[in-house]
Amino acid sequence: MRVLLVEDDADMAKSIESALVADEHSVEIANDGESGEAKALEGGYDVIVLDRMLPKRLGVSVVKNLRDQGVSTPVLILSALHDEDHRVEGLNAGANDYLGKPFSTRELLARVRSLWHGRDRTPQTRLSVGDLEMDLLARTVKRSGKKLDLQPREFRLLEYLMRHSGQTVTRKMLLENVWDYHFDPQTNVIDVHISRLRSKIDRDFPQSLLHTVRGSGYRLEA
Amino acid sequence: MRPGLALLRTTTFRLAIVQAGVVLLFVVALLLYVYFATAGQLIRDSDVLADQEYSALERAYNEGGMRRLNQEVVERAARQGALLYMLAESNGAVISGDFRQLPAVPADAAERIDFHFERVDEAGAVIRGRARGKVGRLLNGPILLVARDLGDTALIAGRITRVLWTVAIVGIILSIASGLLAAAQAARRAEDLADTARAVMAGDLKRRAPIRGAGDEFDALAAAMNGMLDRIEQLMHTTRNAGDAIAHDLRSPLTRFRQKLEAALDAAPNSDADRDALRNAAEEADRLVETFSAVLKLARVEGAGNWRMQRVDATTMLRELIEFYEPVAEEKGQTLRGDVEDDLFVRGEPGLLAQAASNLIENAIKYTQDGGELELRAVRRADGRIEISVADNGPGIAPVDRDRVVERFVRLESARSSPGVGLGLSLVAAVARLHQGGLHLRDGLGDETHKGLAVALVLPALQGART
Repeated sequence: MRVLLVEDDADMAKSIESALVADEHSVEIANDGESGEAKALEGGYDVIVLDRMLPKRLGVSVVKNLRDQGVSTPVLILSALHDEDHRVEGLNAGANDYLGKPFSTRELLARVRSLWHGRDRTPQTRLSVGDLEMDLLARTVKRSGKKLDLQPREFRLLEYLMRHSGQTVTRKMLLENVWDYHFDPQTNVIDVHISRLRSKIDRDFPQSLLHTVRGSGYRLEA
Repeated sequence: MRPGLALLRTTTFRLAIVQAGVVLLFVVALLLYVYFATAGQLIRDSDVLADQEYSALERAYNEGGMRRLNQEVVERAARQGALLYMLAESNGAVISGDFRQLPAVPADAAERIDFHFERVDEAGAVIRGRARGKVGRLLNGPILLVARDLGDTALIAGRITRVLWTVAIVGIILSIASGLLAAAQAARRAEDLADTARAVMAGDLKRRAPIRGAGDEFDALAAAMNGMLDRIEQLMHTTRNAGDAIAHDLRSPLTRFRQKLEAALDAAPNSDADRDALRNAAEEADRLVETFSAVLKLARVEGAGNWRMQRVDATTMLRELIEFYEPVAEEKGQTLRGDVEDDLFVRGEPGLLAQAASNLIENAIKYTQDGGELELRAVRRADGRIEISVADNGPGIAPVDRDRVVERFVRLESARSSPGVGLGLSLVAAVARLHQGGLHLRDGLGDETHKGLAVALVLPALQGART
């Protein structure tokens, strides 16, 4: 996919670029807010990765301008200021995701992919991964036709994983999107929730669907 | 506290009461002085008058004998002046004068006499009174009495006394009233200053104390306080700018550093040792970042800043946190009980409150032994404040160390083996302060020997939350 990276720090831009290229994306770099906005307006990008502190025009104004002019390309804001207020400000301006610096490459890659996959999500009432099926209206989950009994939060966790099936989702993404928590727990709480979910959806079946991606997070895949 | 009662406790009112007491004492002293000065002078004057009259009558007796004296006494007694007379024989039998009987039989020498009398005037009315004068035996024994009726003197003294009492009562009422007025005035000015201090503590760094322009001591205090607040605001501003600059300047290189380590790892190093070293370095980088972020966050919370305070449903937030952490506790064989009252609302920053509560729960899980007991309670206290406490039956913290663990980077020896940087409780304390609340450490769920620990976050309840 084509990624527009707007980042003024040349070192940082280079390092992000090489990570994205290694993940088989093509990358175009703009090094200030004005030229980034101009390039984004030309169109043709699948995802825009935007630093918050940019010369000439701040990331938040760039997003606002793009949205005002009808550009709906998914935007991920990178920021050294990742307090709640700044995050909310960025998301309110129209950004789709917000990632605080420093971040790991894997986190960035997972989020870029997730943005692209989710770009034109049509409302769905059913999700399926392999023989795992979720009915969002009846709020039921079946595997190989057998009904699984999930707690409401386990249901939301599984729903998020199924919506992003085939992609790596990080612990941070789960924390933010399933629980809406924006702090880093000091315990392995996400892993514990995943292992509980895993025992419900995978234990009695020969094929495992919920995979651990070492150093990154988890992936649900048939 | 009722405002009326509060007013009675002010320093100014106490001073007013003291002032009223001093006025009362002064008036009593003045009263005594005036009484003795006026009434005493009147008595002395009447003594002189009585003495002169006595001498004049004695002279008349010496010159004209008993007959002349009697004539004089009858004449003078008939004059209806302030002076009263009496002439008696040597055995005390009354000859003439204003009195029907002798108040006292004098010795040989003339003496001062002060007596109560009862006499009948021309109209036949009985007059009772007090008189003071001179009584003595003249040559050959007749007794002469010249006295002055003290009625007028008593009347004057009484008037003076009444005036003074009136002045005293009016003075006391005035001094209490002016004391209350001054107290109310001073209390209002002091309250203005306290309001300003409270607003600043609550994070409104732009707030300043009002200056009335009266140039009084309160204005001077307000001006000094405003100067101090200007300085504090300036320092905070400098600190925050430095913090933001550090955040921006250091986070980018840290991110690059971490990415380079990851890239090196992805490039498949030759040996397992290299791989381990790189992985360890990446973990250390993460820890550095984590500490760094925690310090910056703590600084931002302590700096009050512009947090968007809103109505937070603490009940729902806490129940969700219990549900979130319950599986982690269960992994350690611990039981995490929740006892959260319905409809607890606070005004606050939801992200910070959730993080504070989560820090308390995670601390309890981390420091309590496997199989331990944990309990999160949230109650509305009798004073209306909301208390969120996490108690455990773990090793606890000795009372002497309890104040210390709230400080930055303080980790007790017993906690060295656990991960973390020692900022968790500092952040909770800072969040408590930001919300005008408090953080309290006390004994937990343990028994006599292992007391455990309970950490309580007390927050003001949202006004009018009970609908």
